[in-house]
Amino acid sequence: MSLLQIAKRLLGIDIAREKYAYAEDPLFGHISESRVAESWVKTTCGYCSVGCGMLVGIKDGKAVATRGNPDHPVNRGKLCPKGLSEHHILTAPGRATTPLLRKDGVLTPVSWAEAITTMVSRITDIQSRYGRGALGVVGTGQLLTEETYTLGKLVQLGFGTSNNDGNTTLCMASAVSGYKLSFGSDGPPGSYEDLETSDVILLIGANIADNHPILCERLQRNTHRTLIVADPRVTKTAMMADLHLPVKPRSDIALLNGIAHILIRDGLIDHNYISAHTEGFSSFAEYVTTFTPEHTAAITGLSLAAIEHVAHLYGTAKAAFIGWTMGVNHSTQGAVTVTAINNLALITGNIGRTGASPFSITGQCNAMGTRETGFTSGLPGYRKFDHAEDRQALAQLWQIDADRIPSARGKAYPDIIEAVITGSIKALWFVATNPAVSFPNYDLIKQAFETVEFLVVQDGFHPTPTTAFADLVLPAAIWGEKEGTYTNSERRVSKVNKVVDPPGDARTDFDIFLAIAEELGIGPSGKAVRDELYPSWITTHDAYQEWQRVSAGRACDYSDISWDRIDREGGVQWGGDRLYADGIFPFEGGRAKLHNVPCEPFLEQPDEEYNLILNTGRTVEHWHTRTKTGVVPQLNGMVPNAWLEMNPVDAEALRLRSHDRVTVVSRRSRVAQVELRITGIVAPGQVFMPFHFSEANSNLVTLGAFDPISREPNFKQCAVRIERSPLR
Amino acid sequence: MSLPLHERATDGNSFDLVRMSLLESGAPARVVNALIPERLLEEGEQYRFHFDMTKCIGCRSCEVACNEQNGNPAEINWRRVGELEGGTYPDTVRHYLSMGCNHCLDADCVKGCPVDAYKKDPVTGIVVHSADACIGCQYCVWNCPYSVPQFNPERGVVGKCDMCQGRLEDGLEPACVNACPEHAIEIEIVNKLEWRVDHATADSPGMPTARHTLSTTRITLPPELETATLERVDNGQLRAEHPHWSLVFMTTMVQAVVGALSVMLLAHATDTVSLTLLAILTAVALNISVFHLGRPAYAWRALKMWRRSWLSREVLLFGLFFLAIGVCTAASWAQSLGFTHHVMAVPILGKIAVLLGILGTLASAYIYLVPARPSWNMSHTPIDFLISAALIGAALAPVLDQLASMLGSYWPRYFAHQQIHYRAAPTILLAIAWLANQLVRLTRLHGSSLFEERASFSLLSSMQMRPAVMLCVGLAMGSAVLAAIGAWPLALVAATGAVLTARYLFFVSVVPLSMGLTFIQGRHA
Repeated sequence: MSLLQIAKRLLGIDIAREKYAYAEDPLFGHISESRVAESWVKTTCGYCSVGCGMLVGIKDGKAVATRGNPDHPVNRGKLCPKGLSEHHILTAPGRATTPLLRKDGVLTPVSWAEAITTMVSRITDIQSRYGRGALGVVGTGQLLTEETYTLGKLVQLGFGTSNNDGNTTLCMASAVSGYKLSFGSDGPPGSYEDLETSDVILLIGANIADNHPILCERLQRNTHRTLIVADPRVTKTAMMADLHLPVKPRSDIALLNGIAHILIRDGLIDHNYISAHTEGFSSFAEYVTTFTPEHTAAITGLSLAAIEHVAHLYGTAKAAFIGWTMGVNHSTQGAVTVTAINNLALITGNIGRTGASPFSITGQCNAMGTRETGFTSGLPGYRKFDHAEDRQALAQLWQIDADRIPSARGKAYPDIIEAVITGSIKALWFVATNPAVSFPNYDLIKQAFETVEFLVVQDGFHPTPTTAFADLVLPAAIWGEKEGTYTNSERRVSKVNKVVDPPGDARTDFDIFLAIAEELGIGPSGKAVRDELYPSWITTHDAYQEWQRVSAGRACDYSDISWDRIDREGGVQWGGDRLYADGIFPFEGGRAKLHNVPCEPFLEQPDEEYNLILNTGRTVEHWHTRTKTGVVPQLNGMVPNAWLEMNPVDAEALRLRSHDRVTVVSRRSRVAQVELRITGIVAPGQVFMPFHFSEANSNLVTLGAFDPISREPNFKQCAVRIERSPLR
Repeated sequence: MSLPLHERATDGNSFDLVRMSLLESGAPARVVNALIPERLLEEGEQYRFHFDMTKCIGCRSCEVACNEQNGNPAEINWRRVGELEGGTYPDTVRHYLSMGCNHCLDADCVKGCPVDAYKKDPVTGIVVHSADACIGCQYCVWNCPYSVPQFNPERGVVGKCDMCQGRLEDGLEPACVNACPEHAIEIEIVNKLEWRVDHATADSPGMPTARHTLSTTRITLPPELETATLERVDNGQLRAEHPHWSLVFMTTMVQAVVGALSVMLLAHATDTVSLTLLAILTAVALNISVFHLGRPAYAWRALKMWRRSWLSREVLLFGLFFLAIGVCTAASWAQSLGFTHHVMAVPILGKIAVLLGILGTLASAYIYLVPARPSWNMSHTPIDFLISAALIGAALAPVLDQLASMLGSYWPRYFAHQQIHYRAAPTILLAIAWLANQLVRLTRLHGSSLFEERASFSLLSSMQMRPAVMLCVGLAMGSAVLAAIGAWPLALVAATGAVLTARYLFFVSVVPLSMGLTFIQGRHA
């Protein structure tokens, strides 16, 4: 700025008229000129799994505006605050723009060639010394479906390690496991439309008003619904409910079994459906006899009347819907809790019909894509490791020896971390995830980072709390800088398109994977890895076309979902509107299984020393560990710091006042300087804090306990005490 | 403004939805089942917001959409969401407020604006602000009970919600209305006369009463709501307001001049040296005040609305005061240099100047008598301004007199001066009166039934401000003691220090009326 300009500004002759001018956008009308675009790119939001269709406006090669796509069936033009400001992340600071290799302890810019050569030589060297399984890879639900598919092949067939998992294990693994246990396959059976047509909607551990706000519109359009929300907190979603069930932490299984008890007792079950499509009913009916309303009331803290009322609402509904998210999944009993939900749907025939579904509302934008294509907890296309014919089919599709496909799942995410500490895994590769903030019990993962010989972090942002530990940082493109597909919670495959080029030398994850395959040279079969795994692939579309062939005939059949068709129809649901309409489930015999689910207390119960139960969660303004939303000033300005919610009763006992700075102490560690909010949102004896903030990381104190089936961490309950933070 | 009737297209799926369809031809957006009125306004009507608290889920899409619409930086939010909470777990009640401008019938921003930058649109009733006309005095920010106008330092002007007038003109709903996933915000038509009579539905917990300015926003409250139990969640956090240093100095200095001139006239001691120094002080003070503005180059515009705005009146009266003291000084010089022998000219002009100065000081005080800033809106404000003038004046006059005597001894030909003996008693009494006024004000703030006044007291008694309060009291007492021992220069320093400190505290400790905000974001600074 010249002196003259500065003087004009100070005197007020210049009032930045151009910057604040308005203009007419040909499509969207009167708006700030800075948001008028020359062209619009149709795409899908890159935050949560609702999968909203959006248009991103471009002017002079820069993303300048975001609009909900009014013609998209998911959101019909609406977006949440994160979506409305999503173009800002494409111009945000803090991006990783060049590969960085740790030399003499310092992350130093290097060429891509050096980065990839170093990565492959270090990893293959480690693998030659410690075995192929010495590499652990953790991917993400943030990648494109095409990229996840490509990564799976690279890790399992290229590097030959089965220790491949995703951050989705921190998120919806329990839903996957629960669906598999009950129905024989993953796949949320319903559609968002069910929220509009169902007459009784039960949300368990799902705060959709904060986490999936665009789904709330469906509930509002549904004028005949009864909405029941089971949550220990009085969440924004609980405020929407006709009936809020303030259950005690982790008493959801008792509630579900208790409802089943009443349904069976009062004959509010669908005998025809049970006998035609399920197995295990008599054992189940016998099992839930112990869950009398009195027993259920004692565990859940609900009144007898409320339990009876809810059971009767659910049992007499024409079409009942149960939705859940992390309140159920983030539990050492997550997978079986999902089966308890499925039990209710099965015994009342509330599945496979309009408005009736047990529905897992997923987390990340492409968690579903990783569930289907991932080569992690299953084989691509919902195939199973332990089914020889599945392995054979894939080997044939890929033209490789079937014995190269593992017959059992490798280590899950928490087991990979544990294996680093016990020494069997020596190299780690994280792709688009930030475990230094998102993984429970930070001290453990920190130890893993410090123990591991070689740590590669591939991310769109640097520095992040995780890249700080990296030996090699690979700068990656993010949403808006690449083309492919995401699949949302209702199995809708949507197109994600490129808006702008990635910054600096950053490359798409897909390109990085291909370059690594190239570097791997000749594989075990004697063929070049690049040519064998990715024959003449150039773009993600090549990966997609192979995935279409691989998924053909599977539950998640993409074979007739071409990119063109997605563009035309604004997203296509695999499996149609809803699964299991015929009542045939992918188990041998075609019957769904009812499971007897015991209700166990959560692991770390409060005691005298750690007298409060810490619950963790999210807020609408932020996404996960804030690598993205933290750099959008609008969003970060709305909620710039973490807080701890505490009931006035507990606050009074501790002589604390709102806005005091407190320290959360658990057996693991402590988080200091958290702003205290005294509120009736949480029950006495419980406290809540969001997990988004690396500056006040709730995962310093959370418990490293995992579901034995899904391996999902128990983020939602641990014992803590609260102290006043020392003055800074 | 003509509001086109909207083409309605029903495709069966668009129940209760603002839907803009992208047409292949690039034709303009189309509104279906609009959340904006479908007919033109008639005589006596205007547009207003309707906010449905039962629908709002607190997602804050409206806030982001507003900033995207208007290209505002993150710190400026023309639409804001607040949270309200009540009840006891598990029967806790949480609700949200989403508010832009209320486009009041009796908008105080319009009335207070010294440059007529605000217009209440005669057809739509939208309160429109012109950035070009605005000089950035921020008086509207003080006047609005909802803290709606916000100053943008990058531009040097304020800005506010204009109901997306430009979009309404095109038959499009405002950005917030368009963005709300719950259809909780809409535009509707209100009959102004009927609303004057009954505006009960404008009131809501977490909002200042609509009575002051006749806010037009209609708020649908949850039917089961016991409104008494819903409280703002942002009340626990108080932030100091902007100190407005230029105003601290300007008001103090001008008051000092007015006070000193009055004292000198009472003592019949209007010498040329003192008058010259007072005129210079006035010039400096008025120039300092200009730097309070976001656009100092256009300060002169502030005279425009003298019929309506106390700020304009202050500028006008202090301008005339400066003129009068200038002429008075010139007359004194003419007399000293022997050009004229009209001995009465100086005292007469001086009395005119004092009259204008007192009126100016009162106009200055009236600027702060705004309902939106309760701790300012007290009789203590004009009393303080007048006593402050007298207190500093009583100490300044003897100091000037001493200076004049010194100069007179060097250049007796021009500045022959007979020193006057000023008595200490008036100064001591004024210091006591001044302190008493401050202390009574504090006591009243403490015991007030208004949250904002009690909050001001809390701020003043906070660790952060308490030292300044103590200093202020000490200096005022010191000025009395120093006057008693005849140490006039020191008494002047103490009195001026006391007034400056008190004025600083006056600005930073005010807690404006505002709508409730969120817990983390808290009250707007």
